[in-house]
Amino acid sequence: MTVLNREILHIVSKNLLSGILFLIAFSISARGVYQTEQDFLAETFSNNVPKSQVIWMKGDVRQSVDDILGHSYVGLRIRYWRNEQRSAWVLEEIGKTEPITFGVVISNNKIEKVKVLEFRESRGSEIRYPAFTQQFNEAQLTNNQLDRHIDGISGATLSVEAMTVVVKLALYLDKLTSQ
Amino acid sequence: MNRRMRSLHRSMGAVVALFVLMLAITGVFLNHSSEWKLDKQYVTWDWLLQHYGIANVQPDVVYLLDQNVISQFGSQIFVNTNPVTHSERLVLGGIVLDDLIVLATDDALLLLNLEGEFIERMGAAANVPPMIQNIGLFHGEPVIQTLDGLWRSDFLLDQWERVSLQGVGWSLLQSMPDSMEAELAEYFHGKGVTVEQLLLDVHNGRILGQYGVWLLDILGILLLVLSLTGLWIWARRVH
Repeated sequence: MTVLNREILHIVSKNLLSGILFLIAFSISARGVYQTEQDFLAETFSNNVPKSQVIWMKGDVRQSVDDILGHSYVGLRIRYWRNEQRSAWVLEEIGKTEPITFGVVISNNKIEKVKVLEFRESRGSEIRYPAFTQQFNEAQLTNNQLDRHIDGISGATLSVEAMTVVVKLALYLDKLTSQ
Repeated sequence: MNRRMRSLHRSMGAVVALFVLMLAITGVFLNHSSEWKLDKQYVTWDWLLQHYGIANVQPDVVYLLDQNVISQFGSQIFVNTNPVTHSERLVLGGIVLDDLIVLATDDALLLLNLEGEFIERMGAAANVPPMIQNIGLFHGEPVIQTLDGLWRSDFLLDQWERVSLQGVGWSLLQSMPDSMEAELAEYFHGKGVTVEQLLLDVHNGRILGQYGVWLLDILGILLLVLSLTGLWIWARRVH
């Protein structure tokens, strides 16, 4: 093996190792709690969090919730926080295999803010970036569908679907509880 | 040469005979496994289940609450034999409160109804104090022990007040009833090993793992040599 070949091999192996380490570090960093539920609520209601309320999943409500999710909701009630026309929801939906915890704030039946509070998958955490979540701002529900198209993220399709479904669910429940 | 070949043939024949018997018998049974419903019959010998690695189903925790057996296997929580919800955190205790079963993990309360349906997870956002260590009842009211002291609530569980109490009936770990253990084992591993599977694994040597496969390979080679030596002897006799 010539000196040049040896050097090329050295550079390739070094870069390969760096690449692998970067990928491992990236996949580890994707998982985690980005904001606790309490901090999300405190931020949403400026440290004046209203008393929580619950909506029971039964009859038509359960049917609609299951239709929106595309599967049966696990649980008999959902907790939420409301202050006049603003409501906050902490909801979970499976991305690929693990549940993702979302925080959704709705104001006057329109999305004010969507956040990923906890991400447990190894891939797809790009949905937490404001560049993606801002697509949902001001979104409303029409016939249980969002009034706009949401651009996906390559490699994060299931996480995008999970967030879209949770936003629809929150809008539906907000409408129901604000009546 | 001929005598040596006969001697080799005889020795190998004796060694191989037992295996051939075993292969012949299991082969005949496997040929008729559907007609004889061997795929519907199960073997549940402890040593065999252990050999297949499906004998022990050990729950992490078990609590008996209002005739219900609450158990946790990894992140899966069961009410009797029904999987009802997941919890990444260990269930530290449980109580029955009116028509609710309340399970406590270190950071939340998991609510089920008496039919075993999951209602809701109440965490710190729902005002449940963090760092829970146990849950109990004091004169019918829920009490939790946290690293930060004792807290008492009412049936709504969303307002907690710090208290100092004696005589709380704390939740205690129980052991899994035998009948339930068997049913849960069935949930995880089915009814056991089918007779067909057992016969197949004996037939192809996989009952002994990778060594069994090698053993059958050696047997195959021995059979090959036996056939060749047999043909050699036969050919010599004809001539």
